Order: sequence, then C-alpha cells, then structure tokens
Amino acid sequence: MQDHTTEQELKDRLSLIESMIAEGRRNTEKWGWMFVLWGVAYYVAMAWSAWGHSARAWPVTMLIAVVVAIAFASLKAGNHPGTTLGRAIGSIWMALGISMFLLFLALGLSGRLTDQHLFVAVIAAMLGMANGASALILRWKVQFACAVVWWVAAVTTCFGTDAQSMIVFLVAIFLCQIVFGIYGVITEAQERKRRGPIHA
Amino acid sequence: MPDLPELNPLVHGRLRLALLSLLVGVEEAEFTWLRAKTEATDGNLGAQLLKLEEAGYVAVEKKFVLRKPQTLYRITETGRQALTEYVRALKQLLGPAIDA
Repeated sequence: MQDHTTEQELKDRLSLIESMIAEGRRNTEKWGWMFVLWGVAYYVAMAWSAWGHSARAWPVTMLIAVVVAIAFASLKAGNHPGTTLGRAIGSIWMALGISMFLLFLALGLSGRLTDQHLFVAVIAAMLGMANGASALILRWKVQFACAVVWWVAAVTTCFGTDAQSMIVFLVAIFLCQIVFGIYGVITEAQERKRRGPIHA
Repeated sequence: MPDLPELNPLVHGRLRLALLSLLVGVEEAEFTWLRAKTEATDGNLGAQLLKLEEAGYVAVEKKFVLRKPQTLYRITETGRQALTEYVRALKQLLGPAIDA
C-alpha cells in the first residue's frame, strides 16, 4: 500500500486522527452561548435592580436564566456522547451553580446581602474558581485569562468605592462572559467550517 | 534499512479512520452524532460502521429511549489496539517528514 500512498496522504491521515480526537473531546467551546446568556442575565439583573429598585430583580432574573439555560442545554446537548472530561467540566459548573443559588438565596432571605462589595467579590471569586479549574483541565489559556480577570475583580472590588466596584463587575462580565462566550461560539463555527465532509 | 510497516487497510480508509478516532475519545456515540461530526451520508456511514463492526473494532448497541430507536457505537479493545498500531506505523512511515 505504501508504494501508492503519498507522504501528503499520510500526513493528512495523521491530521485527521488529531482533529477527530479533538472533536470528540471538544466541550467548552460548545457552551459559548451559555457564557453569553449568563452575561446578559447579570446585566439585566443589575439594570433592573439599579433602576427598578426591586428586591426581586436578582432572584427572578436568575431563575429565568436557569430555565432558559436548562431548556437550551437539553436541546443543544442532544446526542453528544459522554466523556470523562465532559463530566469533569460539567460537574464544576453544576456545583458552582448550586453553590451560588443556595448561598445568595440564603443571604437574601436572611437580609444579610447588604454589602455590594462582598456580593461582587464572592461572585467573582467563585467564577474565577470555576473558570480556572476548567482552564487547567482543558489547558485553555483564553479561559485561564478569564479566571485571572475574575480573581482580579474579586480582589479590587474589596478596596474601591461602590461605583468602582460596580465598574469592575461590569467590565469583568463583559470580558469573561460576553466576549469570551462570543469567542467560543465563533471558534466552534470556524472549526465546523474548516473541516469539510469526510468521505470513505 | 529497516522494514517499513504495513498500514492496516481497514483502518486506513478516511471515514473509518475518522470514526475510530472519534470513538476513541468518547465512551459511546450515537449514529446521528457520528454522522454530524463526519458529515457523511447515512448509507456510507452505515456501510463503514458495519465493516468496523465485522472486524470487531466497534461494538453496537441498539435500544429505545423514550420510544425512539437509538444506535450506540463504542470502540472495542481490539479497535483501540488497531488504531494505536496504525498511528505507530504511520509515524514510522513518515519519519522525519512528520514535523515538516
């Protein structure tokens, strides 16, 4: 067979193996839209809370975001096969969601959610942890940069004024949710476009 | 000069190679997922999967989920070994050209 097989064809096979293995393991880029969804949800909750002066702004917006996220996720996940890596990443984000939900619900109900700086710092630190863990598992520098942004936001919000704390939070959401999410969606689309159909 | 290794013709086919490479990274995969990833036609995909199944490289499980038929494929140990051997042979054949 080798006599008829060109070097280029062999290289093509090697590249095909690499791209297909990567395709099977691809996870986070598929969820770019989820980052955008939560980024938008944070902005909506903040705007509603600031201008509407409503205590229901955060819980209602977060609840709607959870319902939308679950509905879209079940549609999008579809027949995607399970991998150990996928479960590892998924469990980090699932645990983060449950932790945030329970913590902020309890703080809100007990009336102890009064310090904006603490609120932003806790959210930013938790998001930094989840992004950092995902990035280290996937060895994904772009996501690790997001984790660093969240960690920086968590620290700086403890020292600035209310307005500065809010600006830090808005910027971190924009960079790590909106921009990173759109980057994920574009990367996935480009990868799909780059790789044409495979024939026998 | 050392003997050059033979490439397993069953693994060498582009679509079959893509399928084995996809399956090696996941626990099991549905026919529809494999079709979406390879963008192959149903007939072609089915035929190549059957060849891999007959060679013992993939195992098939058919079941019903919410009354819908589902065909699941997973790579067997023999398939995994065949792919490993193929990659080893490929690298040996390419030699220094691998980085070029």
